[in-house]
Amino acid sequence: MAAGHAILAPMLHRFANPARFSRISRAILPWVAAATAILFAIGLYLALVAAPPDYQQGETVRIMYVHVPAAWMSLSVYALVALASAVALIWRHPLADLVAKSASPLGAAFTFIALVTGSLWGKPMWGAWWVWDARLTSMLILFFLYLGHIALLNAFDDPQRGNRAAAILALLGVVNLPIIKFSVDWWNTLHQPASVFRMGGPSIDPAMLRPLLVMALAFLGYFVCLLLIGVRADLAAARRRAQQLERAG
Amino acid sequence: MTRKRQRLVLVGVAMLLLGGAAALVLNAFSDSLVFFYSPSDLAAKDVPVGRVVRVGGLVEEGSVTRGSDGATVHFRITDLARTVSVTYAGVLPDLFREGQGVVAEGKLDAGGDFFADSVLAKHDETYMPPEVAEALRKQGTWRGAEAAEPSP
Amino acid sequence: MSAAWALFRRDLQLGLRQGSDAATALAFFVLAVAMFPFGIGPEPAILARIAAGLLWVIALLASLIALERLFQEDHQDGGLDLLLLAPAPLPLLVLAKLAAHWLVTGLPMILVAPLLAWLLQLPAEGVAMLMLALLLGTPVLALIGAVAAALTLGARRSGLLMPLLVLPLYVPVLIFGVAAVEASLAGLDPAPHLSLLAALLLAAFAVCPWLAGVALRQAAT
Repeated sequence: MAAGHAILAPMLHRFANPARFSRISRAILPWVAAATAILFAIGLYLALVAAPPDYQQGETVRIMYVHVPAAWMSLSVYALVALASAVALIWRHPLADLVAKSASPLGAAFTFIALVTGSLWGKPMWGAWWVWDARLTSMLILFFLYLGHIALLNAFDDPQRGNRAAAILALLGVVNLPIIKFSVDWWNTLHQPASVFRMGGPSIDPAMLRPLLVMALAFLGYFVCLLLIGVRADLAAARRRAQQLERAG
Repeated sequence: MTRKRQRLVLVGVAMLLLGGAAALVLNAFSDSLVFFYSPSDLAAKDVPVGRVVRVGGLVEEGSVTRGSDGATVHFRITDLARTVSVTYAGVLPDLFREGQGVVAEGKLDAGGDFFADSVLAKHDETYMPPEVAEALRKQGTWRGAEAAEPSP
Repeated sequence: MSAAWALFRRDLQLGLRQGSDAATALAFFVLAVAMFPFGIGPEPAILARIAAGLLWVIALLASLIALERLFQEDHQDGGLDLLLLAPAPLPLLVLAKLAAHWLVTGLPMILVAPLLAWLLQLPAEGVAMLMLALLLGTPVLALIGAVAAALTLGARRSGLLMPLLVLPLYVPVLIFGVAAVEASLAGLDPAPHLSLLAALLLAAFAVCPWLAGVALRQAAT
C-alpha cells in the first residue's frame, strides 16, 4: 500500500467540509425527527378524522393526503438528485455525491407510494387500476429512472466511477420532470389537472388543503431525516475506510 | 480554429438544435398524445368505423337511460358543442353521474353511435366538502360543468 | 473536423469488414419478429393489429443489443484514450462513431422493415410511414444508447444494466413512432407524430453527444 498516503492526504482535506456537515447534522437531526413525528401525528389526525369527505369522492378522497405529498416528494427529490449531481460533476464536491446517493432510493420509494396509492384510488373512482395516460406513464418512467440511477451507482468496483456515471444519467433524466408536471395540461389525460399549484389559486377547499399541506410538511421532514441519516452513515463508512488504509499503509 | 472558438460553435449549434426541437414540439402540439378525443374531435377527424378509440366529455344531463335488461346503459357524451350517444353494458365506476366527466373506450358504428367496451370516470381538480358544494349550488355560483372540463 | 471524418471512415470500414456485430443485431431483428406468428398464431387480423407496435419494440431491443459494444472495443484496446487526446471536440467524435454505427446497423434494419411488415400482414399503406418513422427514430435510439453505453463502460454486468437505463428513455420514441404508423393506417394525419419524432431527434442531437463525451472522459480516468 505504497500509494496509501498519496490518496489519503487529499481525501482528508476534502473531508474538512464533510466534518462540519457531520457536526451540524448531528445537532439538527433530533429536532427534525421530533418535528416530523409531531407533523405526522397532527397531519394524520386531520387527514383521516377531521377533514370532511369530498362532495364527489366521499371518504376515498383521504387517499389523496398520502398520494399527493408522495408525488410532490418524488418530483422534488429527483430535482434534488439532479442538482446534487450537477454540483458533484462541476465542483467535484464529495458531499453532493453522497446526497445524490442517499436521496435516490428515497425518491424511488416516494414514487412507488404515489403509484400504488394512485392505483388504489383509481379503481373505485375511475374504474381502473391503471391507465396508460401521459401522467401515469411519465410517473412510471420516473420510477424506472430512479431504479436505473440506483443500479448504476452500485455497478462499479470503484465507487467514484459509479457516482459520476449515475450523476450523468440523473442529468439526462431531468427532461422527464416538466413532462410529468405539465402532462395534465398538455394532453387530454384521465388524471385530473393540478389542484394546488395552479394559475388562479388552489381549487381545493381550505378544509382539505390544510391537512394536505401538513402531510406534505411531514413527508418533507421524514425525507430530510432519512437523508441526513443516510449521508452520515456513508460519511462514517468512508472515514472508516480511510482509517483502515492509514493503518495498512 | 482555436479550442475556444470550436466550443463556442458547438454550443451555438446545440442551441439551434434545441430551438428547432422546441419549434417542432409546438407545431405538433395540437393533438398528439391524447388519451381521448372529444365529440368535436371525433366529428372533425372522421375516425373510421370499427376502430377502437376513446371519447371523453361530460355525461349530458338527463341523457342516462337503462336498457330493459338492466345491464345496458345508454347516455350521451357532450363537450358542449357536439354530442355522441353511447351504449355500454357493464359496471360503471362510482364517479359516473350526469354532468360528470367520463372517458368511454369502444367503437363507432356506421350510424355514428358509440359502443363502449369500458367506461372510466374522469375526476376534476376541485375538491370540497358536500356542505360547501350544497351552499355553492344554493348561491347559484356553481361552476359544475365547465369546471369539470377545462378547455384545452 | 478531419479527425472526426477519419474516425467515421475507420469505424465504417471496420463495421463493414467485420460485420459480425451489425449482422447479429439485424439477425436478432428478423428472427425475433419471425417468432411472433408462431407464438400468437398466423391470424392476419391479429398480426396486422399489433404489427406496428411489435416491429418498433423489436427494433428498440435490436438497437440496444448493437449499442452495447459501441465503445467497448475502444475501451479495451486503448483507442478511447487516443480519442480523448484527439484535437477534435469529443462530442463531434462521438457523433462520427455513431454515424458509422447507424449506417451499418440502423439503416439495414430500416431496409428489411418492409419485408418484416409484410410477414406480419401490416397493411401496405402503413409500410412507407413505418420506414419514415424508423428513419427519424432509430438515430434517436442510437444517440440515447450511446450515452448509456459510455456510462456503463467497465461496469459489472453492463449487459443487464443497459436495458434498465435505456428502455425508459426510449418510451417517447416508441409512442410517437407507433402512433405515426397507426395514424396513417387509420387515415388520420401522422404529421404531428412525425413532428414530435423530429423534435426528439434534434434534442437528442443537441444533448446526447455532449453527455456521452462527459461519460467517456470519466470512464477513461
